[in-house]
This record gives sequence, structure tokens and C-alpha cells, in this order.
Amino acid sequence: MLVSPHGGRLTARQYEGPEAEEIIEKVKGGTLLTINAREKNDLEMIGNGAMSPLEGFMSRADYESVIDLMHLSAGPVWTLPVVFAQKMGDPDVSPGDHVGLKDNEGTIWGDMQIEDIFKADLIAEADKTLGTNDDSHPGVIYLKSLSGTYIGGKIRSIRRRETESFQNYRLDPKETRVLFRARGWKTAVAFQTRNPIHRAHEYIQKCAMEIVDGLLLHPLVGETQKGDIPADVRMHCYEEILKDYYPPARVAMSVFPAAMRYAGPKEAVFHAILRKNYGCSHFIVGRDHAGVGNFYGTYDAQMIFDQFDPDELGIVPLKFEHAFYCSKCGGMATPKTCAHDNQYHVFLSGKKVRAMLAEGTLPPSEFTRPEIAAILMEAARKGDN
Amino acid sequence: MKGLVIWIRTEEGSDEAILDKLGIEIQERGGRVEVFHSEAVENLGMEKNDKAKAVACAMLASHGVVVITSGAEDPSINPGEKLEIRIIEESNLRKTDIHDSFMRDLELAGLVPAPKYDVHPDEEKEILKKLQDLGYLDD
Repeated sequence: MLVSPHGGRLTARQYEGPEAEEIIEKVKGGTLLTINAREKNDLEMIGNGAMSPLEGFMSRADYESVIDLMHLSAGPVWTLPVVFAQKMGDPDVSPGDHVGLKDNEGTIWGDMQIEDIFKADLIAEADKTLGTNDDSHPGVIYLKSLSGTYIGGKIRSIRRRETESFQNYRLDPKETRVLFRARGWKTAVAFQTRNPIHRAHEYIQKCAMEIVDGLLLHPLVGETQKGDIPADVRMHCYEEILKDYYPPARVAMSVFPAAMRYAGPKEAVFHAILRKNYGCSHFIVGRDHAGVGNFYGTYDAQMIFDQFDPDELGIVPLKFEHAFYCSKCGGMATPKTCAHDNQYHVFLSGKKVRAMLAEGTLPPSEFTRPEIAAILMEAARKGDN
Repeated sequence: MKGLVIWIRTEEGSDEAILDKLGIEIQERGGRVEVFHSEAVENLGMEKNDKAKAVACAMLASHGVVVITSGAEDPSINPGEKLEIRIIEESNLRKTDIHDSFMRDLELAGLVPAPKYDVHPDEEKEILKKLQDLGYLDD
């Protein structure tokens, strides 16, 4: 049997077709509030059950419980706020109001029954969730752009498939669960990535595959920061490598439509819990997962899992060191398995790889498979990374 | 799973069938349940009062069992760390929305198992078709 969803059941608050039309009809003449890109990603993920047990944007009790105690007020582990900010120029609203949620272009993406409106100390939120209020942290920049007033309440989201990117790879949690069952998987490991696949990632994924029934490659395609490799390039790399290097029956690739928060350790737990909702029993946590710059310690994102009872998490973190090719071992290894000095290790930083690509130099095949290097080179030539 | 006493506040001498009904619901979810009727206190040779009942239920629940009982008064005992006591009015438990939200709170607190999660067979059929169309599964 697959792992249970977080909180016991998948929420289902996503609508399309006539039901979606009915929601739009109800709200379009009334009060409409504006959602930003991150909130739109969150709305989608609450609606499709990826953020179970959340049924809407957080009210004060959950918000405070999450930032102070890393648990929802009702009990389950939850490490990051999922909130909706009041926007300048939007109409005044009160608890009890039923409102529509629209983007900047006026497209309606859902509705909300407002339960709570509350002021938040955004600096305190930054300190508690991101571990910093430094203005160079992208999460801090985001928080400081908000009004400081949050609106909480249950939502319904509207699915507009025609607008979705990577349509062939859009699987909701209930769909991945049906897929795993149909393939006979009882355990699955999720790999989250916002980077193209190099040999090190492949090695880690394959190590994890040795102990579970299947691998869910789950590249993040929600909002990321400038400088990250674009999602279409990353997806292309994965499509290419899956052709020849993975057993098809033991791997599934689907996109993860979340926005990056760059919250390091707390986001690592958040990512793990969401993958549990997709039916995964294990989650790969690399070094500096969801980190940015030098804001987090190398192993912070792994150590945070030790603060929770394994039963309340319900998903097993697989903690990996960075991997490299060791010329003396003659294969991929990590500091846990290799006895040799750095001089024998082939390891390149993302910055170095970008510099090589910009110069028209292919990274060595011990670092990146030639098929992947060719895609990255082509993207660099076109100015995509 | 932490021990739990569900204390249903009832009028003196009221029908205790609602205890059994709730017991069956939790049992069907896979929970370990004991329904503790009023006469059980006497059968244990204890005084027939709510305090004695609360003590007996707490002892039972501290072994990780969900104990369902009823009483006219609130159970005036300290649950300690291994035990939760949740109180609900009988009249409220009979209202579907309050019953559902009470049970959902217990689920989220990890005190009772959630209903076995499953996709409706019709929906599962549709999903399987989609997965085949997208190439995730063979026809």
C-alpha cells in the first residue's frame, strides 16, 4: 500500500468544465482580489491536493503555528506559510466575504471564502522561516514587497489546462498515486530539482532506486529566480537521459508546479511533505537543498529532518553527499564511499559549467553525459542559460 | 498513536447507541477502539460516577487505544503526555457537519486513522486512460 497523504487524505478543491464555469459566473460580478505568481502556484497546489491537508490560504492560527512551531494548528508538520497577501488597489474585504481570485490580466483562477484578515510582521516571518532578513535573499525581497496583511480562507481553484506548460507531464497527486499502483510500486522516491541533470544527480537517483520500487523525477517548474536554468531546458535534458540510461518501467517524470521560496532547510521539509502527497515514501535531500547563496549550512537541509518524529513526517529523507567521478575509483562516488584525494575527483560548480558553456567548451563526460552537454551548449548559444 | 478518550457529554440515562456507532466508524478506519458503556464501571467494581469512569478510560487509552465513553460531567482528570481527551456534546455529534469536522480534527492530530484513501473506480478508470494516452502506461 502506498504512503498515506499528509493529514490522512488528499484535499480536492480543483474544478474544471461546467463546475469551474459556475464558480467564475458566481464571482465575476463581485469582489475580485489579485493573486501574484507565487500565490497562483500555491492556489493550484492547494486545489489539486499537493498541499494536503491545506484547504486554503492560512489564517492566523495556522500561520503563527507554522512559523513558530513548524506544525499546523491542528497538528501535522508544516514548515512554511502558505498565505495570500492583500494587494494595493484591491477592494476592502471582511471575514465572511466570498471573493474571486484573479491574476494581473484579470483571468479568474479561483475563489475564497474569507475567514480571517490579519497583520503579519514580515521581518519576523523572514527570520523565522528563511533564517535571515538580509535584503539580498530572494525570499526576503519577496516578503518585503508584500503589504503585511494576509487574508486567509478556504479556496477553490480553477484548472485551465490550455494555459499549462508541459501538458504531457502534468500529473496531480491522485494521478501519480494511480500510476504508482498500476505499476505495482509500493515505495517511490522523489527527486526534486531546479538544475539540469549531471552525472552526480544520476548517481544519487540510481543509488536511491536500489532500495525502492520506483523513481519520480519531479522537476520544479513554478516561479524561480533569474539565473536558474529555464525549466524547458531542464526538462529537455531529462527527456534525453531517460531515453537510454534509465529502465522505463521504474521511472516516471512529472512536473512539480511549485514556486521556489529559497528557504533552505524548511523548504526541504516542505518539499518532502508535498511529495508524500504525490505518493512517495522517500525523498532525496542533497546538500544545501533549496538553498541560495551562502545563507544555509551545507547540511542544514538534511539535519532539520532530525527535529521531527519519523511517524509525523511520514516520508523518509534520503540524505546524500555531493557525488563526483573519481578517476582512481573509476566510477561515481561520494566522500562517504571514496578514499581518494580531491585531485582524483571530477567536480565542477554550476558557475564553472556556465562559464565553460559560454566559451563553447563541453564539460567532461565524467561530469555531464555528452547528450546533456549538447543540450546545455545549444541553450547557452541561444542565450537560455 | 497517542491514546485518546472521546468523551461524549450526554444527559443522564441517555441512549448510548451513539457510542457504538462512533466505535464502528473508527474501527472501520483501522483504529483500535474500546467502547466504554456506563455499566462497565460497575462491572469493574468501581463506583458508578463520571470521575471513576474517566480514570478507567484514561488507563485503557494510555495503551494507545481510542476509548469512547459518555458522561454528564466533564472528565476532571489530567490526561498527561500520553493521552488526549476530546469532549463533544452528543447533540453536536449527531450533526453531520460537526461530526465530520470533529473527526477531521482527530485525524489531523494523529489521534484516529483517516478513512482508507482511495480514488473512486470511475475516476481511476479515467486517470488510467489519461496515463495511457500520455505514455506513462502501456495500453
